[in-house]
Amino acid sequence: MEIMNGRLNNGGNLNLVFDIYPLSNYYFSSKPGVSSKEETLGDRARRLKSNYDVHGMRTYVEAVILVELFKHPHLLLLQAKNCIYKLPGGRLRPGESDVDGLKRKLSTKLSADETQCQWEVVGECIGTWWKSDFETLPFPYLPSSGNNPKECTKLYLVKLPSSRDFVVPKNLKLLAVPMCQLHESRKTYGPIISGIPQLLSRFAINMVGS
Amino acid sequence: MVTSAVVNTYPLSSYTFGTKEPKMEKDTSVADRLARMKVNYMKEGMRTSVEGILLVQEHNHPHILLLQIGNTFCKLPGGRLKPGENGILLYFFDSYGTMFCISNHVALFNSAEIEGLKRKLSSKLAANSTGLQPDWQIGECVAIWWRPNFETIMYPYCPPHITKPKECKKLFLVHLSEREYFAVPKNLKLLAVPLFELYDNRYGPVISTIPQQLSRFQFNMIHS
Repeated sequence: MEIMNGRLNNGGNLNLVFDIYPLSNYYFSSKPGVSSKEETLGDRARRLKSNYDVHGMRTYVEAVILVELFKHPHLLLLQAKNCIYKLPGGRLRPGESDVDGLKRKLSTKLSADETQCQWEVVGECIGTWWKSDFETLPFPYLPSSGNNPKECTKLYLVKLPSSRDFVVPKNLKLLAVPMCQLHESRKTYGPIISGIPQLLSRFAINMVGS
Repeated sequence: MVTSAVVNTYPLSSYTFGTKEPKMEKDTSVADRLARMKVNYMKEGMRTSVEGILLVQEHNHPHILLLQIGNTFCKLPGGRLKPGENGILLYFFDSYGTMFCISNHVALFNSAEIEGLKRKLSSKLAANSTGLQPDWQIGECVAIWWRPNFETIMYPYCPPHITKPKECKKLFLVHLSEREYFAVPKNLKLLAVPLFELYDNRYGPVISTIPQQLSRFQFNMIHS
């Protein structure tokens, strides 16, 4: 391998490098949880459909947040109940921008109150998934049949400072899952989360030493 | 290099396809290929390969151009860079003169790799006469895959504890212009495969995950 010292002339490349810090740099505590009301699948389907008729496609924004552990990047995931894993994030309000909505959701899910934390969203969306119907699986391309998609999920990379307090609602567990495990466990995490290592492959993840 | 979140795709009919002399594979089996890779590694160090994602549109859906060898095996146009064509920056200076180094330095590609990819694309897909060479517009890198050992498995990250990966493969988006003439080697077939068919299918982990890696781009489907 050639080792060269040199000046980086393509400024655009710098967007591809980001630093991640050891898990031990971060502090975790909990706050009271807001449990969502129990509704049957049928009720949920009806609610989503009437929402769609009024507001159009539902857009979710979700954050890809990484920490370092055992010299390998780990993704922060929220576990609800026993086997539902989610990325931190949630649904956009009508008219809300992606970044504003994401920051709002991150503050709700991961910090003590909405105004306290600053969140740094890096660059543009790193991946998009669409659902042609509410009950179908998501796909990384628009439905080719020309039907308008009902739901869209957009992933953004979020950079952490070297240290931070995370405050998580009691009804959720915050996990740090190694990238190598995500890559091998599509059945556990679903296509969106297990596909994140492939979406991140083009970045240079710099693990800042502990 | 073109950095753009919008990708113009033109209909397949907008392009003309001819043939040229065959380009045979250097190895007849997977075992041969891995053995040759080992010999090259001893001489030249880690292999860097570059491949191009060329897109067209049909029925308003993006299709990727793949080269089919024989009856089943498909690959992207591209290939191995020559030693020295992959000037890898391990250390660089930011605008304040501060030096810092990155562990996965190979994510910072440079113009030598872009030129190498153009060379490979012309070798596989362009006519031999200099007058008909396409002006390849190489776009962003969309994926990087690592081969930790002399085996067929590749990962989208360098696995922990692997300090000497054997191969690094980079996939780049290629922005095609409205009209091109492609000359395909006689022993290969050029296919246009829709993203929905690639996704999660029999083309192997690298090609099957391309739809996800393209999902952040906006496709501008241009009709003739």
